Amino acid sequence: MPNWKAGVLVAATFAAGCTGAIGSSSDTPAGSKGNGAGQGSGGSQPSGSGNGSGKASGSGGSGVSGSASGGSGSTPSGTGGAGTGVGPGSPPSGDCTPGIAPTSQVPRLTNAQFDRTIRDLLGVSALSASGNVLPSTLLATDQDGSMTSLAWSSHQTVADMIATQVIGDATLKKKFISCTPSTTGAGATCFHDTIVAFGRKAFRRPLTSDEVTAFTAVVTNGAQITATGSNDEISQALLYMFLISPSFIMRAEITGNADGSGHYPLSSYEVASRLSYTLWGSTPDDTLSAAADKNQLTTPAQILAQAQRMIQDPKAHDMVASFHQYYLLMGTNTRWDQANKDPSLFPAFSQAIVPDMENETLTFFDKVAFGGGTFQDLLLSPKAYVNASLAPLYGLKAADYGTDLKEVTLDSAQRPGFLTRLAFLNAYSAYNRTSPILRGAFITKQVLAVPIGSPPPGADTTPLPSTADLDTNRKQVDQQTSASACATCHHNFINPPGFVMEAYNTAGAWQTKEATTGAPIDTVVDAMIDGQLVHLNNPAELMAKIAASPGAQQQYANKWVSYAYQREGDPNDCGTVSNLTAKISAGGYTIANLITDLTQTDSFRMRAEVTP
Amino acid sequence: MKRRVFLRGVAGAALAAPFLSSLHEKKAKGAASTTPVRNVFFYTHNGCLTDKWFPKTTNGALTASDLMAGTLAPLAPYVSKLMVPRGFRSMNQYGSGQTIDPHDQACGSKLTCAPIDSANKRYATAVSLDHVIAEAINPAGKDPLVLSVGAASTSIKEIISFSAPGTAFPATVNPTTVYNQLTGLFGSAPATGGTTTVTPADYHVARGKSAIDLVSGDLNRFKALKMSGADQKRIADWLDLLRQTETGMGGMGTMVSPSSCTSATAMAPPLNITQAAVTAGSPTGAIATGAFVGTNNTGTGAANLATSFTLGGDMMMNLIALSMICDTNRSIIMLYPGYVTFNWDGIMHTHDHHGLSHRTGDFSVGGSCGVANVLDMIQQIDSWYAGKFAKLVGLLDSIGEGDGTLLDHTATTWLPELSDGATHNTNNLPIMIAGSANGYLKTGQVINVDTGTPDAGKSTSTCQDGSSGSIGYTGSMGGNTPINKLYVTLMNAVGMRNADGSKITTFGVMDGMNANPGISNPGEVTSLTTGK
Repeated sequence: MPNWKAGVLVAATFAAGCTGAIGSSSDTPAGSKGNGAGQGSGGSQPSGSGNGSGKASGSGGSGVSGSASGGSGSTPSGTGGAGTGVGPGSPPSGDCTPGIAPTSQVPRLTNAQFDRTIRDLLGVSALSASGNVLPSTLLATDQDGSMTSLAWSSHQTVADMIATQVIGDATLKKKFISCTPSTTGAGATCFHDTIVAFGRKAFRRPLTSDEVTAFTAVVTNGAQITATGSNDEISQALLYMFLISPSFIMRAEITGNADGSGHYPLSSYEVASRLSYTLWGSTPDDTLSAAADKNQLTTPAQILAQAQRMIQDPKAHDMVASFHQYYLLMGTNTRWDQANKDPSLFPAFSQAIVPDMENETLTFFDKVAFGGGTFQDLLLSPKAYVNASLAPLYGLKAADYGTDLKEVTLDSAQRPGFLTRLAFLNAYSAYNRTSPILRGAFITKQVLAVPIGSPPPGADTTPLPSTADLDTNRKQVDQQTSASACATCHHNFINPPGFVMEAYNTAGAWQTKEATTGAPIDTVVDAMIDGQLVHLNNPAELMAKIAASPGAQQQYANKWVSYAYQREGDPNDCGTVSNLTAKISAGGYTIANLITDLTQTDSFRMRAEVTP
Repeated sequence: MKRRVFLRGVAGAALAAPFLSSLHEKKAKGAASTTPVRNVFFYTHNGCLTDKWFPKTTNGALTASDLMAGTLAPLAPYVSKLMVPRGFRSMNQYGSGQTIDPHDQACGSKLTCAPIDSANKRYATAVSLDHVIAEAINPAGKDPLVLSVGAASTSIKEIISFSAPGTAFPATVNPTTVYNQLTGLFGSAPATGGTTTVTPADYHVARGKSAIDLVSGDLNRFKALKMSGADQKRIADWLDLLRQTETGMGGMGTMVSPSSCTSATAMAPPLNITQAAVTAGSPTGAIATGAFVGTNNTGTGAANLATSFTLGGDMMMNLIALSMICDTNRSIIMLYPGYVTFNWDGIMHTHDHHGLSHRTGDFSVGGSCGVANVLDMIQQIDSWYAGKFAKLVGLLDSIGEGDGTLLDHTATTWLPELSDGATHNTNNLPIMIAGSANGYLKTGQVINVDTGTPDAGKSTSTCQDGSSGSIGYTGSMGGNTPINKLYVTLMNAVGMRNADGSKITTFGVMDGMNANPGISNPGEVTSLTTGK
């Protein structure tokens, strides 16, 4: 089982957790462009006068009530979504000016990329000189500013350790130098050949003749810069020099032939680097490098051929896992990691099984993505990955399972998609009761991408009423959120999906009765989805609606673009988001194809004109 | 007496200890004395039980018995060097400025006094105080030293340092990383085996020069290209780092280092920074990514977390002291993460600190108390942190410097994320300052800077048995003087001045976020200063 946590993680804005029971908050000021629910006249901004990305025929100041009455008339064209190519999520054509976002030309390898690059270039995954830790353990933490003196010092330390370890191991040494240097005869060109060949790999492009000269000087001065001038010592010094070189540490994009339109097509070498770091988080392999050497990475078709090969490589799995963690706010210190339940009420839960829950969900994403699945499958597939620890909460017999996760097909009426898997259900609920607000807000904001903003101060301390007539959690929360300041967001957007998810108790088990009172669970709601009030009876209907939701589809596309291009919601990418959304809406669009399509855009193979 | 110190960088790339360079314009014209003054922040999350933390005295002489009665008991031995300023509020309490998240705002705005940006990972929109101070008073103006324990994180919940608006400066969490830079003792063993050389030999120097030539050649090729201003700066700053090292090797006579900066000093008590001790405090693999015991399939993750918090954190303190002795950094932060479950030093919890601070045992806010003995558990954590702050204070006070101790030549401030962790308030902050910054700050006192009698707060007013009753209000009233004024005081204390030599008077904005800084009375808080 791959170690998912070693994936390339973008620093995610993860669930606020703290503000009342809201899963996550984003501060969407009034008037900002809504990111896609396209609710016509301000309908997506229940709290204010924001204009949704649909035609705003009014201030929408009265929020939901305004859109409910005006809804049918003001919903922009394309509500039908599927097949039209312009779902309600995409802004009207006048609002989107696709472009190529400015990017840094000298991004440094992140620590995770550094570890993978060292692994793939030199076969080192653990530093024998320092407790067998991952090399990046000794580097400074990732940051976007300039190289700091601590970070630079740490690079030198780690480079030295790696070089020593590689040259000291007969097998690893061959990954750097595979000939025996000598002053005459066959070995006379060994160092030179090594500089050229390894340099090509380390710098992800051929060395210039100046660079070859500079590295050759290291060899020429070998006797002065090493203890005894031995071949191994010189090799160690040479490898050290490569690993501290800025052209190794930075993924430079400096090709300078503008195409006349103000953009710079990347060289094949630079495209290769983007391909491998996007799809694998690591350095190009030999096949990709060969294509670059032949300058065969300039057209979308050429790039696609490589991308389709690369997505099938095991190295792509980490990236897909990392993406879904980013999309769903998973990761260190998030709710997903910290689920905790009252053991007296939920004996089937223990903190020890939380990693299994997370692994199950990541396995689910992996199997969908690499099994030809689609976005819709993420919401609808009844496949689960169960072991003895997780079985009881799924209503299965622990004795039928071992410690490894085994694929199971669950009842599709009860367990469609990742939102009905234990990890989410446990993460977005409380210690001894469910939280329709947490689950509902997550679905509303993270999945459906409705920008509902933050609760007003003090909202989080609104007491939960507990009179005898409120015999279900649903009724209590409904009452709790019925004040006029709360009802607009809660009764229309947040609570309904949360109430549907009452079908699962706080530990994720299917329930039909409230444990404390025996009252029946009521999962029938009228929910606001994509600007329309929809009657839903149960989780299966909710998931079907989400799977078909243009807002949810656009959110998924948007998040992939943000993740792959390492820029959050950049307006320049609106065309890409739009195109991918349309393809998702049309159906049958595999996640694998979505990923490879990310390499097909202009902004993937070009960089923007620089503004100094 | 100062002498040139040859710190053996890796592979013999000899790195001279930093120096007072003319490469950077510095504002610290006022720091004419040869004794450097340092600013240190010790940062903890999730508030505390304020009514157990605050000394009984609300204004006036601070006595050991004031401290012995509550959480601060471990600080009693150092009372004559402590000052508790009462009445400060930090910017951007949830609902007073933004309504994004109380923790994200508390962290992002803490040292920046600026709003956070929900479109950019909730990072702060301004540079943080530690960087401002570092640029002014650090040798060569270099970056501050920001250290932590546990898992490295780029999440806003664990970041209080920002090198530029929107650019986070996450902490380094591995003592070995810091140690390697400071002492450079992890030199390379010859590739053919044998013993590690530790004596500086000419070939190390030659190799270091060779490396600098190669790397600067590479960077200069980038420098010649047309790139954005931000990219140009990245290249220029990296070249600067090389130049600092290079001049250190060229021996122009300006490169000096305190004579006490030696490996003997490092290895001797009280620092005891030996390779073995550093390794013992460093992670051996993955740090627990969750807050609970026995994570990641084996106990390794949890064990690493415990090691990191105990041996690791203590070693970071030793390295902080060594950084001061070697004068490699004068702007230092030591922060502890907030989302961990304490399972060390006799504390065996089953809920993480953050969940306990809510009284609910998890992320949820408000409602009913949810964990039996929750106040006892919070108290255990509060006391543990007081013990750690006392350890840092005691360590710095045990190392002589000039006519005093290291501590005397610092302002070492325990700065909390919040006052009470359930109410998430940032008024009436529990702050303690150790050290007088070379006589600039008063010590041995509680000083109320705000109007009205300081409130101890209501942290223990509810959830006494932990598992029943409503959490209610656990915050405190009053104490709303902008913390910006404390920061201005600290800036002046460490020797920063304006270009015209006058004292600093402003830093950041208060809760009025836009044009109005919300600080009607700028300037340092003179009641905290001795007038020196």
